[in-house]
Amino acid sequence: MRGRPNLFASYAAEQGILPTTTKKVSAVLLVIAAITIPLEVLPVLSQFSQPSWLVLLNRSLIFLIAALGLNILVGLAGQVSLGHAFFMGVGAYTAAVLGGTGAGLWSLGLPIWVWLPLSGIIPALLGILIAPTAVRVRGLYLAIVTLGLVFIGEHIFRNANSIAGAPEVGREWPRLELRIWKEENPLIDFASDGNWFGVSLPGEAKTFYFLLVMAIVFVFLAKNLGRTRIGRSFAAIRDRDVAAEIMGVGEFRAKTQAFAISSFYAGVSGALFGVVVGRLIPETWNLFLSVQFVAIVLIGGAGTVAGTVLGSFFVVLMPRMVENVTRFLGDQAIDGGVLSIVGDFVVSIDGDFGLISLSAQGPGLSIFQLNQVIYGLLIAVFLISEPLGLFGIWIRIRNYWKGWPFTY
Amino acid sequence: MTATMDRPSTPSTGSGYVTVASRARDWAASSPDVVAMRDKDFGIWQEKTWGQLWEDVLDAAHALLDTGVSVGDVVSIHSEDRPEWIILDLATVAIRGITTGLYPTNPMAEVVYLVNDSGAAVHLAEDQEQVDKLLDAEADAFPSVKKILYVEPRGVRNYDDDRLEFWDAFMERGRAHRAANEGAVEALMGQADAEDVMTLVYTSGTTGPPKGAMLTNANADFAIEKIVRAPNRTADGMAPGPQDQVLTYLPLCHVAERIFSTWTMVGTGCVLNFAESIETVQVNLREVQPTLFFAVPRIWEKIHATVLIKMADATRFKKLIGAGAMRLATFIGRERVNNGGLHTLKSRIAYAIGDPLVFRALKERIGLRRCRWAGSGAAAIAPEVLEFFMGLGIPVYELYGMTENAAVATLNFHGRVKLGTVGEPYPDIGLRLDEETGEIQTKHDGVFKGYWKKPQATADTFTEDGWLKTGDVGEWVDGTHLKIIDRIKHIIITSGGKNISPSEIENSLKASPYVKEAMVIGDGRKYITALIGIENDTVGNWALRREITYTTYRDLSEKPEVIALIQDIVNQTNEKFSRVEGIKKFRMIPKELDHEDGELTATQKIKRSAMADMFSDLVEDMY
Repeated sequence: MRGRPNLFASYAAEQGILPTTTKKVSAVLLVIAAITIPLEVLPVLSQFSQPSWLVLLNRSLIFLIAALGLNILVGLAGQVSLGHAFFMGVGAYTAAVLGGTGAGLWSLGLPIWVWLPLSGIIPALLGILIAPTAVRVRGLYLAIVTLGLVFIGEHIFRNANSIAGAPEVGREWPRLELRIWKEENPLIDFASDGNWFGVSLPGEAKTFYFLLVMAIVFVFLAKNLGRTRIGRSFAAIRDRDVAAEIMGVGEFRAKTQAFAISSFYAGVSGALFGVVVGRLIPETWNLFLSVQFVAIVLIGGAGTVAGTVLGSFFVVLMPRMVENVTRFLGDQAIDGGVLSIVGDFVVSIDGDFGLISLSAQGPGLSIFQLNQVIYGLLIAVFLISEPLGLFGIWIRIRNYWKGWPFTY
Repeated sequence: MTATMDRPSTPSTGSGYVTVASRARDWAASSPDVVAMRDKDFGIWQEKTWGQLWEDVLDAAHALLDTGVSVGDVVSIHSEDRPEWIILDLATVAIRGITTGLYPTNPMAEVVYLVNDSGAAVHLAEDQEQVDKLLDAEADAFPSVKKILYVEPRGVRNYDDDRLEFWDAFMERGRAHRAANEGAVEALMGQADAEDVMTLVYTSGTTGPPKGAMLTNANADFAIEKIVRAPNRTADGMAPGPQDQVLTYLPLCHVAERIFSTWTMVGTGCVLNFAESIETVQVNLREVQPTLFFAVPRIWEKIHATVLIKMADATRFKKLIGAGAMRLATFIGRERVNNGGLHTLKSRIAYAIGDPLVFRALKERIGLRRCRWAGSGAAAIAPEVLEFFMGLGIPVYELYGMTENAAVATLNFHGRVKLGTVGEPYPDIGLRLDEETGEIQTKHDGVFKGYWKKPQATADTFTEDGWLKTGDVGEWVDGTHLKIIDRIKHIIITSGGKNISPSEIENSLKASPYVKEAMVIGDGRKYITALIGIENDTVGNWALRREITYTTYRDLSEKPEVIALIQDIVNQTNEKFSRVEGIKKFRMIPKELDHEDGELTATQKIKRSAMADMFSDLVEDMY
C-alpha cells in the first residue's frame, strides 16, 4: 500500500523482485547509466567508453553470468563446487562446434539462436549426470570430486584437437552476430564497428549492449529463482538437507536441479567468453578460473544476487584499478609532488628500491603478482571479517539507517 | 472515486431507523469495491471490500434467522478481534438482535455467568480454548444456547455436541436460507427502531458481578455523531473518512474499541486492520501505520517505555543523537502543553530540526508516523507520557466516557488541550457536577436504557431528576475542562479524616517505565502505603545492564537494588504530593497480576478488595 512499505495485501507484493519504489527507481537508473556508458553522455562515466574499458566491462558481464550460476549452486543450494570452469569449457566448445567455421576443426557454422541455447543445455545435462555425486558426498569431499572434473576437462580439451584446437593455440570461435540461417550477411553484427540508429559505435560497445541485455535477463532469472518453489527447496537443502527431506523437499531432486541450473549459466557464460574474447586456448578452463568464481561469490556475498553483481565487477575490474593506482603513484614519484615519497617508496622505477615495479623485469613485485597478492588477501579478509561479502557491508550500512534512531 | 467519498445518509428514512448495519449496507451500495477491512493471515493482510463484507453479513444474518434467532434475542461473541466478530455483530443488529461480547481472557466461571445472564441464543466461541469453557461446564448449564459457533476448527472437529457448528457451515446454511427467503433480513432492517437494544456491554465488575448495560440504536447513533464525527477532532482538521486506517486490537466487547473500530468504520468508511494478537500490536502498528489510533494508558506507557529502552540500548552515536532529540522533544512538548496542544513559533522551529533528523524515523518505528488523531481513555494517564508524545508530534488526546453513556462525555479538542484534564464536554450535551459530592453526571441521547434484567441497579444509577450518575468525582479546571479525581468509592479517608484520591498517586507511580501496577492503601489507617508491581521487561533490562542476575519475576522484585530503584520512584512521587498523601511504606507485589487469578478485571483494572484479601499479609506487615 502507498506510504506503508510493510503492509502487504498479497504474496505477489511481498515477494516482488523490486518491492519498493526506491528499488524500482534505482534499478531503472542503474540500467540507464549502463546504457549511456558507450554514448559518453554522462561525464562521470565517459572514461569507461574507451575500448580498453569496454573490454573489461564486457568480461565483467560474462563473468557475472557464470558467477550467478555458481551463486545458485553455492550460495542458494549450499553445494560447494570447484568444477565451474569445466562446465564453462563444455559450453564454450559446444558453441565452438555448433557455430564455428574454422578449417580442420569440427564446425557446423550454425547461427547464434542454435548454439547459444545449446551451449547452456549440454552442460546442464552433464550437470544432471554429476549431481548424484553431490547426494553421496558433502562439503569438502564434494569440492574434491568437482575439482577432479576440472582436471578431467583440462585433459580432454587439450587432447581433443579437432574440437578445441591445438594446445597453447586454440581455435577459431563463432562470431557474435545474428543470422537467420547460414546466409551471407548477418541481420545484426554485435562484433564489428558500425552505425546503430545513426550513432557510430565501436564493436566493443555493440558487444557491450548485447551482453548487457543477456546479463539483465540472467540476473532477473536468478533473482526470480529465489522466490520460486525450486529456489525455496534449494535454500531448505542448504540449511539442513535431512530436515528438508523430512519437510518433503526431495534432496536428490533439488541437488540435481541446482547442478543443472548452475551448469546452464556456466555453459552460456563460457560460450560468450569464447566468442567475445576469441582465440582462447584449451588451458583456459582450469582450476584458477573456477577459483575466480568462488572468489566472486564470496567477496560479493554468497546467496545474494546483488552481491554477485558487485563481486563480478569488483574482481574483474580490480586488477585494472590496482594498475592505475600504481601508475599514478609512479608518476607522482617522478613529479616530486606531495605523494612523491610514498610513490618512491612503493614503486620501483628504473631499478631503484620499491615494492612494486612497473616493468616486468624490475626488482619488486610485478603488477600481475601484486594483483595475485591482493586477490588472496581480499578473499582471506572477507572470509574472516565480512562473511556476507560486499553485500554484507551494504546490509550493515542499510540496517544502521533502517534502525534509526534505535539500534534494534 | 468521488462516489466512494460520499457518506451514507444519516437521518432515519422510511426504511427503518439507521443502525450500524444499515450504515454498512449504505457503504456497500455506494462503494462496494473499496477495502473495508484487512485481516493478517499467513503473513498477508487479506482484504475484504464493503461489497464482500455486506454479502457476508447478509449470509450470517440469514443463518441466524435459520437458527431461530428472533427480534430481541442475544448473540454472544467470545473471540479475539477478527472479521467474524464484526460480521456476526452487524448481522445480529440487522435482524434486530442484541450482540454481547466476552473478553477472550474471561475464565470459565465468568463465561458461564455472562452467557446465562444475557440468555444468549447463539454463542460464538473462537477456538478450542473458548469452546471448552462452555462444554466443560455442566451439561444443562446453558439452556438458552441453541448453537455454539466456532471459527478455528483445530481440535474442535472431533467434539461430539449437537450445538457445535463450524463457521463455514453456518454461513452455508445462511446462503441456503437466503436463497429461499430473499429479502427477509432487509425487511427486519426496515422495522429497526431507535429504542431497539443493539448491544449489551458488560461492566468490568471491579465490585460484584458484571452488569450488562443496554445500548440502543439511538445511543450508537449519538456516539457516532458526537465522538466519531466530532468537529475539530483531528490535528489536520479533516474529518475521518475512507482514507483512514484503524488498527483493531483492543477487545471489541469494550465500548471504547467498539466505538473506535466498528462504529468508526460504519460511521466514516475507514479501513479496519485487525492486529494478529495483543503481543504483535507493535509489529502490526509498524505495518499498518494507522491514521486514527485509540489506546489505553497501559499501551501508551508501554510504547513510551519501549522508546526509552531502545534509546538507552542504542550505539554511542545514535544514543547521543537520541538524547539530543529527547531534549528537543521535551522542549516542544512543554511549549505545546502551555499552548493548548498547538505549536508555538519556537516549538515549530525546534520541530523543523527534530522531525527530519529523528522524530520522523522514530514515529515510523513505533508505527504512528501517519497518525493524525490518537486517543487515550478508559483510565487516567500520566501527563508526562502525553507530553512526550506531543513533543514527538503525535497528538494524543485524552478523553472520558463510560459504557453507561456510550462513552459520550468529554474530549480534549484539537488546539484546546489541557494536560491532566479529560477535556471539555461535547457540544450540546448535558454534563454537570453534583454540588455535594462532586460526582459527574450526564444527560443526553447516548445515556443507556438500563442494566439488562436489573431494574434495581438501573434505578440506582440515575438521580431523581433523571441524570446518569457516573460514579466518578471530578472538578472543573478554568471552568471549561473537566478533571477526574477518582471513583467515588475509591476515595480514601484516613484515620486522620483526610480525603485522598489514590488514583492520582498511583498514576504518578505508574508514569515510571519500571512500575506496572500500583495500589495505594490507607482507608481508615494512620498513613498511606502502597503495593507496587514492577514491569518485567524494563526492570529486567535495567537489571541486565547492571549485571544483576535473577531468575523469576518474584526474585527480580525482591532484589535489594530493585527495591532501591522503586524507593527512588516513590520518593519522587512523594515530592509531588502533600505530606499526608506521601507513601510511608511500600511492598513489592510478588507476582504478575492476572485476570485468571482474579486480581484484575478483563480490562486490566485492579480489583481492590480481592487484592486486599490476597496480599493481606503484605498490607498488615506495613502497619
